[in-house]
Amino acid sequence: KTMPTYKLSYFPGRGLGEVSRQMLHLSGTPFEDNRITMDDWPKHKESTPFGQMPVLTVDGKQIPQSFAIARYLANQFGFAGKTPLESAWVDALADQYKDYTTEIRPFLMVAYGFGEGDKDKLRKEVAEPAINKLFTILEKKAKENGSNGHFVGSSLTWVDLLVSDHMGILETHVPNAFTAFPTVQDIRKKTTSLPKLKEWIDKRPVTPF
Amino acid sequence: FSAISQSTMPAYKLYYFSIRGLGEVPRQILALADVKFENVGITKEQWPEFKSKTPFGQMPVLEVDGKQIPQSFAIARYVASQHGLAGKTPFEAAWVDALADQYKDFNNDFKKFFYLVLGFGEGDLEAAKLEHGIPARDKFFPLVVKQLKSNGTGFLVGDSVTWVDVLYAEGSSRVAHEVPGFLDDYPEVLEHAKKIHAIPQIKKWIEARPV
Repeated sequence: KTMPTYKLSYFPGRGLGEVSRQMLHLSGTPFEDNRITMDDWPKHKESTPFGQMPVLTVDGKQIPQSFAIARYLANQFGFAGKTPLESAWVDALADQYKDYTTEIRPFLMVAYGFGEGDKDKLRKEVAEPAINKLFTILEKKAKENGSNGHFVGSSLTWVDLLVSDHMGILETHVPNAFTAFPTVQDIRKKTTSLPKLKEWIDKRPVTPF
Repeated sequence: FSAISQSTMPAYKLYYFSIRGLGEVPRQILALADVKFENVGITKEQWPEFKSKTPFGQMPVLEVDGKQIPQSFAIARYVASQHGLAGKTPFEAAWVDALADQYKDFNNDFKKFFYLVLGFGEGDLEAAKLEHGIPARDKFFPLVVKQLKSNGTGFLVGDSVTWVDVLYAEGSSRVAHEVPGFLDDYPEVLEHAKKIHAIPQIKKWIEARPV
């Protein structure tokens, strides 16, 4: 039985593609890490299902939308929780994170250099409330789950990866963002020190986000 | 005395405000799956106290044998997956998810106009229509039509109804109702909604629902 061929197409950054790259690497699955620059993107846009990236191509068939891709790979490789209820909770936390990204977006766009604005004002009025709202929920869930290094269940899920990588980006723009969330910090520490993940982090192209 | 144990259906309760909003799609999925559930409407007065009992301080919340699941799409997918309404293969399930998230992205833009239509918030309706309503519509619905045509079964994914059909049908029918003529350039989308709403369990739910 032959393994499927996987290609993940995304911009050169981490962003919406990183969690899927990480799962492919963690599972030991060879994949084409197809990074398309902003300059080249217009040439490729029409060949994607929704005119957007990331896109996962599995044996030539495309799947769009970052969380659909992540959940598909998580289910293939065992990173989606061990029961339907656990999977539902992984999904719920991921969607709560997605809502948060919509809330914090005005700050991050300026912080990343994609727009003009008062970064300090936005940090105070937009970023900090959004961070507090999400991370209070994450801290509570992490504790309820037994402070075992995971948000859900007792093994790695894609929401552990999603939050951990984001924290690495966010703290460069919001210093001390996570001091009130020690259990979440612990999850990030445990997740990012997994040898196979550390291997990926050490070899991946260095990008600010 | 029977040695065969009876498998019992879990007890489902769906908590939301007594409006359609984000609760309607989970309710319709439960109805479509022929699952008995208690449809709990939380009033504005009850909400502050109930809020602290929810996992994220938000609704809808599904309670399954006392265990809570928040977030409307997580709820929909959980119920759908248990009842064959989430795609027949992992690839189909991924496309159901992708279309659901594409709808969510569309709605994040579109609601800047649509909430004003529904009477929530302040703003210039005509300006919002031009700046958010029309562009969001014309970016999203051509993709929907393309998907319906290329799938060719009348459903968005595969050859049977999935939870994303229910999501889209609720969204498009609500928009068409609140802003008459707004989706006239997308007849395939309106046909899709009609088809989904004619499914007996959904038809029955729509006829009997309180809101």
